[in-house]
Amino acid sequence: MPDRRETRRQDVGLLVFLLALVAVWQIAFSLRLLPAYAFPSPLAVGRRLVELARSGSLGESAKASLFRMALGFSLSAALGLLVGLSMGVSPVVNRLLKSLFLGVQTLPSVAWVPIALLLFGLRDAAIYFVIVMSSAAAMAIATADGIANIPPHYLRAARTLGVSRLAMGYRVVLPAALPQIVGGIKLGWTLGWHGVVSAELIRSSIGLGFLLHMGRELNDAAQVVGIMLVTVGIGLLVDRLLFGWIERSIRMRWGLDR
Amino acid sequence: MAGNDSVPKIRLEAACKVFDSRGMRVEALGPLTLEAYDGEFVVFVGPSGCGKTTLLNLVAGFEFPTSGRVLVDGQPVTDPGPDRVMIFQEPALFPWLTVRDNVCFGLRQHGHLTSRERRAIAERHLALVQFDGFADAYVHELSGGMKQRVALARALAPQPRVLLCDEPFGSLDALTRERLYGELQEIHQHTHKTILFVTHNTREAACLANRIVVLTGRPARIKRVLPNDLPRPRDFYDPRVIQLAAGILDELKAELTADREGAHAR
Repeated sequence: MPDRRETRRQDVGLLVFLLALVAVWQIAFSLRLLPAYAFPSPLAVGRRLVELARSGSLGESAKASLFRMALGFSLSAALGLLVGLSMGVSPVVNRLLKSLFLGVQTLPSVAWVPIALLLFGLRDAAIYFVIVMSSAAAMAIATADGIANIPPHYLRAARTLGVSRLAMGYRVVLPAALPQIVGGIKLGWTLGWHGVVSAELIRSSIGLGFLLHMGRELNDAAQVVGIMLVTVGIGLLVDRLLFGWIERSIRMRWGLDR
Repeated sequence: MAGNDSVPKIRLEAACKVFDSRGMRVEALGPLTLEAYDGEFVVFVGPSGCGKTTLLNLVAGFEFPTSGRVLVDGQPVTDPGPDRVMIFQEPALFPWLTVRDNVCFGLRQHGHLTSRERRAIAERHLALVQFDGFADAYVHELSGGMKQRVALARALAPQPRVLLCDEPFGSLDALTRERLYGELQEIHQHTHKTILFVTHNTREAACLANRIVVLTGRPARIKRVLPNDLPRPRDFYDPRVIQLAAGILDELKAELTADREGAHAR
């Protein structure tokens, strides 16, 4: 069992560190190291965020980005898992696709935006395309690796107990690879989140990326920094709270974590 | 019990296994001919790496003979199946399932059982192997001995007629191992399963077997077959068990010397 008091102490430590960081930021601002139009104070950022929230555009944009993620990322995860599964089952498919996917992964997600616009024009499909292209490969690779790393004695034990080849997939292969698959989905979420904001930055009329873009257009550094913070916050929240919780409960059950 | 059936439960007919790994021909087994009758407890002893596990793999259906035949109930083995369950040195329990669900695992293939019936079968087999822990626990919460007990219960639950044991107690501490010898003998006496058991521990062989098959070094062939009619249950410290074990050890030592001399002659 994790020591609750120990984790709480760590949480407090993190909070103090973040507050200190904001303090350093404020001090740097007060010293006028950079011009104010490029380097807003934390107070200005906070004020701008409150304004955006009051006007409703922050909430709507966050909702729009999250909604796009929900759809695009579900599609991406389904594709990634399916392709990863076929890679895990067939060494030939694995050899062919793995090198391709590792190559694809070196592309920053924003590099998918131009081709997305050419392919899909100014439709939301372009954004879904960017999400899928920036996250599916990582999930496919994680799934394939998870399957490849299954200890062979699990498969032998299942076969001697009479599990058919078909049932092997969902009774042994998937559950045995699950810790690594969930790790891949978690990574995929982060990459997809990069993708959605990158795509919105260049084409959309709503979304966190759009607010970032507007901030730059209006020379509003407070908005730019504020939206960056919100983007980090939402990304971390889903990563830590949702996927982190799923991952932890699996690892606890397996006895990988204490 | 032995020899009164017309068809042996298990029959190896001049079974040979040759592995081809990166151009190297490795003769692992045979030719080896052997019969095991229903209810027999046959223990194979041999130098480590001699191909004992290969022998079990052939009967389990994990591997197939390069030449010769492996028959179970007179039929050639074509696949692994729950009529011949193998247990391994590592318990190979599934960490994503509870103890109870692990034991139920092989029962899911029997579609006609309700989940309550499966549960009852699991509880019965956990009791049979003297599992005194918590059936809702996950695997990582168990000690090594408890894990191997659960693995035994999981293997027994689908009611296999044949149990294949590949050094199942090899990694356990001495105390746990000795208790499990008693329990395995009891299970054998109650269920009359045919057990093929592989080990390099001569005391283990003397304690458990109806028949001890001493194997040669690679490729594994039968060097000597020793019957063992000592009354059951046998104690690990019974002087007759120790004496028999010493006899097996002499056979093994002679085999090792012969092997070395053979190597020199070559």
